[in-house]
Amino acid sequence: MAVKIYTTSTCQWCKKTKAFLKENKVAFTEVDVGANAKAGEEMIEKSGQSGVPVTIANGKIIVGFDEGKLREALGLK
Amino acid sequence: MANVNTVTTKKTIPKASAPVAKPVTKHVSSKSNPSEFGIIIIGAGGSGLAAGMYAARLGMTSLILGATQGYDLPVGGVITTTHVVENYPGFTTLTGPELAKHIEDHTRTYKEVTIKEERVSSVSKSGKGFVVKTGKGEYNGKMILFATGTKWKKLPESVKGSKEFENKGVHYCALCDGPLYKNKIVSVIGGSDSAAKDALLLAEHATKVYIIYRGEKIRPEPINLKRIEANKKIEVINSTNIIEVKGEKLVTGVVLDKVYKNSKEMKLDGIFVAIGHIILSELAKPLGVKLNRKGEIMINHMTSETSVPGVFAAGDVTDKVFKQLITGVADGCTAAHSAWEWIAEQG
Repeated sequence: MAVKIYTTSTCQWCKKTKAFLKENKVAFTEVDVGANAKAGEEMIEKSGQSGVPVTIANGKIIVGFDEGKLREALGLK
Repeated sequence: MANVNTVTTKKTIPKASAPVAKPVTKHVSSKSNPSEFGIIIIGAGGSGLAAGMYAARLGMTSLILGATQGYDLPVGGVITTTHVVENYPGFTTLTGPELAKHIEDHTRTYKEVTIKEERVSSVSKSGKGFVVKTGKGEYNGKMILFATGTKWKKLPESVKGSKEFENKGVHYCALCDGPLYKNKIVSVIGGSDSAAKDALLLAEHATKVYIIYRGEKIRPEPINLKRIEANKKIEVINSTNIIEVKGEKLVTGVVLDKVYKNSKEMKLDGIFVAIGHIILSELAKPLGVKLNRKGEIMINHMTSETSVPGVFAAGDVTDKVFKQLITGVADGCTAAHSAWEWIAEQG
């Protein structure tokens, strides 16, 4: 299962999303788009969004912290 | 675990117009039933967390309910989206998330406090107390405290493109999304202290920040006004509205309602909206709690009592004038103390 999350260090919803993934023992890769402009461009290209967090889980794009959509994308109950 | 005091010297601070209350711990603790609480606090921002802490000091059990979904505020409330806080005693300067974490951690040291991240769907009267329903459970409280705060007001739909470009250049959290605008040109819409602080934050990333304000003159706190005036990256455009957000995949600019530097069109990479807040008082309406025209919960400013017995309110959701974390936290403590007195009077 490939999960990637685009964040900034000052975004509380990013922290919330990461905490949710950790609680559910989901491995993920994090990219700080505030520190990495190229990753920011990649996030915009893939998601069409310029707001964080953007989570890409099993090909599904989730914007903001949305527990329901995360659970659905990750196959969690 | 912090030192949790159960107050036994209540009679030292009687309310002038009320009978002296009895010690109340036995009335407000319910260790036998985990779904019963002395007071249920709806909202987990600074006011709600402070109320829970103070309720615990007075021997009351509390349940603090606050949910995050999408871009609703996390535990800690609106201060979690503030870059720098300089007006909270004890801390010369720290970030909003840091301060929120301090308050949350402090509150969590009291064993009488339970914090659940659940969204409240309804609050209703039940016998002498209240029932609060969430998507995950049902809880009983002898009293209710609304500390539900506010949420960001969005650009009106009359501004063409404002919804279409949300998160595609139109943003509501400068702290979250500002770092994406390094070396870009952005604007802040609004003239409040929050708008000014957003502009100062964005100026750390962007090459240029325009503050576009509909009023005659922006109105931040004087200390921030001086900072705005001294910052060469920031330019203020007063008495002007945006009427359209333009772009393709992402925002490319806005159309103004009047000419600025020979054009009504302005090229921008990002727009950060800080035009105020919507009061979150909907849950209080079915109880018959009195609201003012703005939808704010009307309270007795000495006691934080609402028009309904056993129902209190604190913080940004109320009809207070000066809304800051420092005042909201004080409101929460006042409400907890009044609740303690109120339940004692019920016998």
